Amino acid sequence: MTAPTMKTYHNSLKTALDDDFLRQTLDKFAVQYRANRQLIFADVNEKELIAEIADAKDASLDQLDQLYERFKIEAEKKGVVVHRAATAKDACDLVCQLAKENNVQTVIKSKSMTAEEIHLNHSLEEAGLKVTETDLGEWIIQLRHEGPSHMVMPAIHLSRHQVADVFAETTQRDQDSDISKLVKVARQELRAKFAGADMGVSGANFAVAQNGSIAICTNEGNGRLTTTLPRVHVAICGIDKLVPTIHDALRVIKVLPRNATAQAITTYVSWITGAVERQEDGQSAQKRFHVIFLDNGRSQLIQDAKCRQALRCVRCGACANVCPVYRLVGGHRMGYVYIGAIGLILTYFFHGHERAKLLAHNCVGCEACKDVCAAGIDLPAIIQEIRARLTEEFGSSMDVALLGKVLANRGLFHTLLKFAKWAQAPVKKGRYIRHLPEIFSLGQGFRALPAIANESFRDIWPALKPPFVPGAKKIGLFAGCAQDFIFPGHLRAAVTILAKLGVNVEFPLTQSCCGLPVQMMGQRAAAIATAKGNVLAFKSLDVDYVVTLCASCASHIKHRYADLLAGENMSADVKAFGDKIIDFSSLLTDVLKVKPETFVNNHEKVGYHYPCHLVRGMGVVEAPKTLLKAAGDYQPAAEEDVCCGFGGTYSIKFPEVSGTLLANKLNNLQATGATTVVTDCPGCFMQLDGGEAIRGGKLKVEHMAEFLARHLAK
Amino acid sequence: MSAINQAAVELFAAKAKPVSILVSEADSLERALDLAVSVCEKKPLAHLLLPDAAPDSARKKTLAAPGLDETSWNYLAEAGAKKGFEMIRGGLRNYLAGVDVTISVADLGVADTATCVLECPKEDDRLATMICETHVIALAKSKIVANSYEAESFLERALAKERNYTAFISGASRTADIERVLTLGVHGPLELHLVMIEA
Repeated sequence: MTAPTMKTYHNSLKTALDDDFLRQTLDKFAVQYRANRQLIFADVNEKELIAEIADAKDASLDQLDQLYERFKIEAEKKGVVVHRAATAKDACDLVCQLAKENNVQTVIKSKSMTAEEIHLNHSLEEAGLKVTETDLGEWIIQLRHEGPSHMVMPAIHLSRHQVADVFAETTQRDQDSDISKLVKVARQELRAKFAGADMGVSGANFAVAQNGSIAICTNEGNGRLTTTLPRVHVAICGIDKLVPTIHDALRVIKVLPRNATAQAITTYVSWITGAVERQEDGQSAQKRFHVIFLDNGRSQLIQDAKCRQALRCVRCGACANVCPVYRLVGGHRMGYVYIGAIGLILTYFFHGHERAKLLAHNCVGCEACKDVCAAGIDLPAIIQEIRARLTEEFGSSMDVALLGKVLANRGLFHTLLKFAKWAQAPVKKGRYIRHLPEIFSLGQGFRALPAIANESFRDIWPALKPPFVPGAKKIGLFAGCAQDFIFPGHLRAAVTILAKLGVNVEFPLTQSCCGLPVQMMGQRAAAIATAKGNVLAFKSLDVDYVVTLCASCASHIKHRYADLLAGENMSADVKAFGDKIIDFSSLLTDVLKVKPETFVNNHEKVGYHYPCHLVRGMGVVEAPKTLLKAAGDYQPAAEEDVCCGFGGTYSIKFPEVSGTLLANKLNNLQATGATTVVTDCPGCFMQLDGGEAIRGGKLKVEHMAEFLARHLAK
Repeated sequence: MSAINQAAVELFAAKAKPVSILVSEADSLERALDLAVSVCEKKPLAHLLLPDAAPDSARKKTLAAPGLDETSWNYLAEAGAKKGFEMIRGGLRNYLAGVDVTISVADLGVADTATCVLECPKEDDRLATMICETHVIALAKSKIVANSYEAESFLERALAKERNYTAFISGASRTADIERVLTLGVHGPLELHLVMIEA
């Protein structure tokens, strides 16, 4: 299978979006998973466990060679043969060679992502062996000649009818589409395969160095049969599956099944040590047991400081379970062999940069994956890093590179924006741009795009600046480009409220774009230049806090500047700036302690959309609700914290996905009966407001500052 | 023998429910064996999974217990024979098409995940617990620990052995691979009974 082109990729996304069954299945899954996950984590300390796993995994990665040596010594004492394969090809060749040496004709497999990674079935079949997958989902997709669409539920994209069809073809009998009957078909058909197989190939969730044992988690029990019935057992796993002790494995087992399928534990965990006893012609004999550790780029990845966290992955699949893009388009478009956020990353490292080129961009950056990752991997940060590398390797399209150059130069950027205000005049229609030049507008019809404001915030600031209040708190205002130039009204409203609350406000004019948009596009140099400019802009102001009305700016400054500016010899300034950053809602509730009397509550029904970078990026949950309850009649909406589909340039690159996420979001908000929708980010505002304008809906969309300013008591 | 941790016993029973483990209690291992015989008697004749199986009319029900000690096996064998079952103590490879019931004795129980821990160094132990339609596990209450970390020293001893195959079993074999609908009984047992023994 060759890597997709942009055109075939978009076609494939479109097909997925039109697949009603897929959409319904994944929607239902997304909602149920979140609820079930919450329940199953109720009796453990989730964050603490995840932090422990992250630390333990990092420590193991630092000593993989020693762990491998220890495992090999311990296992070989017990009659196991331990191998290390440098590449996918080496591993496949090794399994084929073992098959030949042992006179193997038929192979059964229990589920192994590592075997999928190296396309083992293909090699075994080329070598003339008959291979049967025994995990139900894997068997189904093997019969259909396709790859997994989820790491834990490989056939989640298929309906019972499709399964019945492929079973009918395989068994040459009609098959009922009743699910329990279909499961019985697999039980019956595969038992004969188990009974007759010469070699069993399994994966391993853990390779415990302490005693040379492996552990395998399964629900169906196929793992136990695969490792028991055939004469030869070959276990294949990445070197990253090595752990020092049983305790390390037990710790991961507390999270892996909870995160994967919301189970406290998988039905079976099999701990295998040594070449175990087997019966051969009624006599007691020993199994031939081989363990293959696959490198395939892992040793190199360990050396890669920015991305090595990816090797902590325990393959639970949770990053797909919560991904709003996965939910819409399914695993075949959201990964290659590995699926979900980790799939975008591992494809780059294990399956080549060419294949990752488009995939790496299909992340909306909502951070839902990072929030649930069993090993605490900062998946969105690694995806951004990969984008930057892909841009360096393959170059970027002309417009993206140009934007990067412009943004890196504040003066030029601001001059151009002022020109754009005049240039857009012929295409402007009220608050929105009437139509975009053809080249920019492909697929963008799902929402209206806002026009650049006649007067930017920096133009009106001198007239707005509140009078100095001696002894009062001093708040710096970080505008970000969207609110400075497109929605200055948000900032004006915020200044009105802050003035009313009697605090001092500073707005240094040398500030610019936060740099996140160019970072998302992989323009590293521009991201560094803008970040540096902003730190310097606030450096000498001596403010207590820096408030930004843009959740994305806030999260980017707080969490990414330190890393971006690591080479600039200004870490103390960067930290001081980051520590002062606060979102508008939290500033009001936590710092300025506003009281309900600050607002006039006329019981306007208001819904809320959580910006991803506020709820996950900044960890803000209660503050917006507190304010909305004080100034209106807050109506909770379903999936309040699911992404609206904006994702900055994501919505330009993948309008089909972005538009669908937006439609879901607006439907959920509309269902609350609210007349107004509030959010805390100009990007989300642009998406929601533009979407509602296009569909002619009645929801009034406002930034939190606007809503509160409108309800400010006299 | 260690004392019974009553809280752990109760937790085990509570956690067993959502994963469809059928829990009962018995005074002794012999009563648990009686229960296995009774379960076997009540269940329908096993559906055999390999071609060339004998017709149902020519088959007896099968009850396997390769892991029992001599005394317990003798007791069970007699009770099973009375009911006309074919009693199996070894050679499980000859029964890959399926057996009706297997009874095993757990080495440890882990309460917070409702897990039975069974050392299965012999192939017959592994096969018997997988190819039966109904698996009955007897577990002494005194062997129930609160959580997996408390099972760690047991597991360390088990895996320090030269050859071993230790199974954590927390329910019947299950799948949700078709439309995410939970279905019990894929490759292994359709049903798991747990008998907690007052010991």
